[in-house]
Amino acid sequence: MDLGNVASLSLFYPEIVLAGTILVLTILDLVVANKRAMAYLGLAGCLVALGATVDLYGTEPTLLFHRMVALDNFSLFFKVVTLAALVGAIWMSIGSGEVRQVHLGEYYIVLLTCGFGMFFMASANNLLMAYLGLELVSLTSYILTGMLPHNRRSAEAALKYLIYGGVASGTMIYGMSWVFGMAGSLDYATINAAMAEGGGNQIALFMAFVFILAGFGYKMAFAPFHMWSPDVYQGAPTPFTGFLSVASNAAGVAILIRFFYPAVSTLGQEGAWAFQALPALQWTDLLVALSIITMTWGNLSALNQRNVKRLLAYSGIAHAGYIMMGLVVLNNDGLNAMLFYVVVYLIMNLGAFLVVMIVANATGREDMDAYRGLAWRGAAFPAVCMMVFLASLTGLPPMAGFIGKLLLVAAIIEGQFYVLAVVAMINTVVSLYYYWRIVKTMFLDEPAPEDGPVAATASAMPLLGALMVLTIVLGVYWAPLLDYTTGSLGFFMP
Amino acid sequence: MTEHVLSYMVFFPLAGMLIVLCLPSDRHDLIRWVSAAATVPPLLLGIWLYANFDTTTTGMQFVERAAWIPAFNIEYYVGVDGLSVSMVLLTALLSFLCIFASWNIDKGVKGYFALFLLLDTGMTGVFVALDFVLFYVFWEVMLLPMYFLIGIWGGPRKEYAAIKFFLYTLLGSVLMLVAILALYFYSEPNTFDMTKLMDRSSLFSTEPLGMWPFNVWGWGFQHVVWMALFIGFAIKIPAFPFHTWLPDAHVEAPTAISVILAGILLKMGTYGILRINYPMLPEATADLAFWFLAALGAWNIIYGGLCAMAQTDMKKLVAYSSVSHMGYVMLGMAAFNTQGINGAVLQMFNHGTITAMLFLLVGVIYDRAHHRDIDGFGGLASIMPVYAGFTALAFFASMGLPGLSGFVSEVLVLLGAWPKYHALTIVAALGIVITAGYMLWMMQRVYLGPPNEKYRSLPEINGREIFTLFPLGVIVVIVGVYPRVVLDLLQASLNNINQMVIAHLS
Amino acid sequence: MEIPIHVLVFYLVALVVVGSACIVAFSRNIVHSAFSLLGTFGGVAALYVFLGADFVAAVQVLIYVGGILVLILFAVMLTHRISDIDITNRTVGRIPGLVAGAVFLGILVYAIAGTDWAKAREVAFEPTTAAIGNLFLGEYLLPFQIAAVVLLVALIGAITLSRKEIKE
Repeated sequence: MDLGNVASLSLFYPEIVLAGTILVLTILDLVVANKRAMAYLGLAGCLVALGATVDLYGTEPTLLFHRMVALDNFSLFFKVVTLAALVGAIWMSIGSGEVRQVHLGEYYIVLLTCGFGMFFMASANNLLMAYLGLELVSLTSYILTGMLPHNRRSAEAALKYLIYGGVASGTMIYGMSWVFGMAGSLDYATINAAMAEGGGNQIALFMAFVFILAGFGYKMAFAPFHMWSPDVYQGAPTPFTGFLSVASNAAGVAILIRFFYPAVSTLGQEGAWAFQALPALQWTDLLVALSIITMTWGNLSALNQRNVKRLLAYSGIAHAGYIMMGLVVLNNDGLNAMLFYVVVYLIMNLGAFLVVMIVANATGREDMDAYRGLAWRGAAFPAVCMMVFLASLTGLPPMAGFIGKLLLVAAIIEGQFYVLAVVAMINTVVSLYYYWRIVKTMFLDEPAPEDGPVAATASAMPLLGALMVLTIVLGVYWAPLLDYTTGSLGFFMP
Repeated sequence: MTEHVLSYMVFFPLAGMLIVLCLPSDRHDLIRWVSAAATVPPLLLGIWLYANFDTTTTGMQFVERAAWIPAFNIEYYVGVDGLSVSMVLLTALLSFLCIFASWNIDKGVKGYFALFLLLDTGMTGVFVALDFVLFYVFWEVMLLPMYFLIGIWGGPRKEYAAIKFFLYTLLGSVLMLVAILALYFYSEPNTFDMTKLMDRSSLFSTEPLGMWPFNVWGWGFQHVVWMALFIGFAIKIPAFPFHTWLPDAHVEAPTAISVILAGILLKMGTYGILRINYPMLPEATADLAFWFLAALGAWNIIYGGLCAMAQTDMKKLVAYSSVSHMGYVMLGMAAFNTQGINGAVLQMFNHGTITAMLFLLVGVIYDRAHHRDIDGFGGLASIMPVYAGFTALAFFASMGLPGLSGFVSEVLVLLGAWPKYHALTIVAALGIVITAGYMLWMMQRVYLGPPNEKYRSLPEINGREIFTLFPLGVIVVIVGVYPRVVLDLLQASLNNINQMVIAHLS
Repeated sequence: MEIPIHVLVFYLVALVVVGSACIVAFSRNIVHSAFSLLGTFGGVAALYVFLGADFVAAVQVLIYVGGILVLILFAVMLTHRISDIDITNRTVGRIPGLVAGAVFLGILVYAIAGTDWAKAREVAFEPTTAAIGNLFLGEYLLPFQIAAVVLLVALIGAITLSRKEIKE
């Protein structure tokens, strides 16, 4: 179906709820003194939008607003992921001591707007919408990164983020203009038709795709477009870092899959995609190389980090590399593994940042020394949770992260990319070393005399417990999630 | 009850762990007794299993299966044959005894016993799992508790030892995971079912892969997968050159954990080779294990023995003796005949009991003297006669004195290996001399001679310690006198595995 | 060979755009950079005229030349001691950068030359304002609204970031 503006509204209510929440918050910010109430209102808005999104799931794939955005299970899946990340981030923000220093009203408004932009990254069916969604997310991310007042790191991170982001989106829009020049349209269906006819000059198309990949890859933080991430992770308020690490990554995955699969490839038999736009050039080789470089670079850089947020930034780069593996095989198994990993990564990484926040609240520090003997300083539960999240990030069973990696590696082994599989596995072993340095510090090191007891932030405990339980449960029985991601591969095919 | 016996054996300790976690952490004795109680049912069920095991068939017994993840054909599938039942029995016994060997742990008691019980579940699970994903999950589940048990309750260099153990083992297991997935996608229809993969072993091709350097070596799919699995298992055995984690881990771990490491975890390496490499990849086994595995085994025997001889730390000596004794297992496996392979698995069982005794005995003296320096004692036999008696039994069993269990398995291995590898068998037999050398030398320095005045007042071995040693001593004697109590369990299954490979030997 | 006059003018305008953009990037004097933007903005407006986009061209002149450029000039001139700022970031690896850039440019030119671009039909010079208005409220309603959200959040962000004091 292909709906006009008014008809689209009836299928657009999650966005309307979210946009309405943003506007109400903007107005309330002027009159309400209690900013915590705004957080609860934002949380409520997200939960209502989440309910609405889940309610829409399974609707017949439709194009809304004159083919601008696609409503299909794929976009709804990423909206659910975004909203879940938003709920987690707002919940974290309520308990965070760091966020208390920022302009709270604006903080929640901009945070919600960031999620709103991700909705359009996931559902864009037109290069113009894709660009607008991406810019909305980028702009809000710069603002949120720079929000900590009197914090040089925060300001520096925001500036770096802005400059790298500007270059990346400039590159991307240049690539998009080439695609427009070759296909004669910004609409994905027209682009697809043009590609099916052979596309045009192979080198021009290749360059255009590389440019576009750069813009999307910048959101996912894969090498060599990852330079911003360590500084931004370290400088931004922790709850937002947690949100950024999972949601920005997920939105990058969404926009990437949407463009490179339904828009420029065709679906063949049994979930195999034909990337017919570039018959002459080895597109998959490029992806394999990018994936290997990203995960290796991320893991090796993480080895010597002393700041836990920075360490998690490099680990995030490595995970972007793992997720990239799903693109290499050009089939639905790979995509399915990517979606699965996105969910798992959301749960475990948000959990890890939650513990970072709890420790920062209690000690005011984020470096490794703040974690010394954490388990013996009255914070045994957060320490155990952190251990579970880190084990999951490493990919140890019976944690959810293992299943995510299993599916990804299974997909690439099925595609017979054995070298990539072995490299990914060796990277896992490397990552164990730095994740386990945190675990070692928390459990094996004796607390020094000057390390006081750590009071765990009470409001964060239910969320922490829920994330930990989910990490383990999804590691033992993951069939429901797998069914959900498989069902979410329903694209609106042009 | 009886149809779920294996599940009960696997998950009783896990249930125990959950109960322990709910107990108040200052009730140390309660936690200890609950933990002990959680390991009793597996032991009793193990005895029941032993009594009801059908020794005549080669198939899997006490099988349970249920769909787990249908989309990937992953099942909860457990069962035992002769090979695994011996290991399951060993696990149940050693876990039960080690709870008592851990009685004097008084730092973080709750955490210790909870992790120990989790470890127990993982170990039992590895030996009964017949689905590859289940197998891998259990295999990895052991790593986490093991890391903490060494890292928190270990000796001075515990952190180094723990992470080294973890990194080595994880490196092995990720290679194994790649191999498992390769087998899954190569089988038609795709399956993680280990019994089905054994039946269809002929499907896995040995045509040289067109991938450097495998095409140069003439290695096919089977060979590459075999090697990936083998490295994973070799790290666990630990075969030279992957053995360097072992002395560190064994020495730093608390006594009970050393017992578990040496008694059970090392066996998983050889168990994996026999359970997976042999029946699933028989052609590659015939090509690669012949000579290579035997030579590696012989080298392990000599190298481990010589290293043991140079040690001044009693625990390190026992650790290196494990490297040496696991060499017999590899040698026996590579003989591809009835004596060899039966001897190998019997050696796995015997080494599990004997090394457990040795570590427990070292633990007894360490608890009293707080050091393990071989030259720091002397004449302990006159101070602690009962203790010295147990020690003598364990030492003699380890040396392979006739009438004790070590003798039977080593002789079987050597008898099996002789027809195939004359030179290696002679070298391996030299290993027995080396073993006798370091064991007797330690005996002489620690237990004989004039008593060291410093330790004149060391208390004699107590009832709890005797309780942990006595069952093992009895088993050592019984198996030494009448080895069929174990061999009968093994024979049918092992000969079956052996037959699969022999057909491909050139 | 006869070159049509409009092609000649096009290349002249393109040269102005790229040339002044180069001055913006390479000039050491920030005031020169700011003034050079005039060429770029104005040239782009001329390019819009070539495309028959009268409204966009007018808006380009009004907003970029009339608004943004003036704002930038004010900012530059009002900033205290703008002329004696130390440039701390030295340019490094000029030669490899130049080589890489040249190679990259070569590839781009090669790719552009070899591509069969989808060309628009002959441009008809007629007023576009009404058509743009219709499209914004019709086919492009959603992007129009999202652009509004982008601007709103940019405003909020700009105010938040520049207001440095914390209110209790």
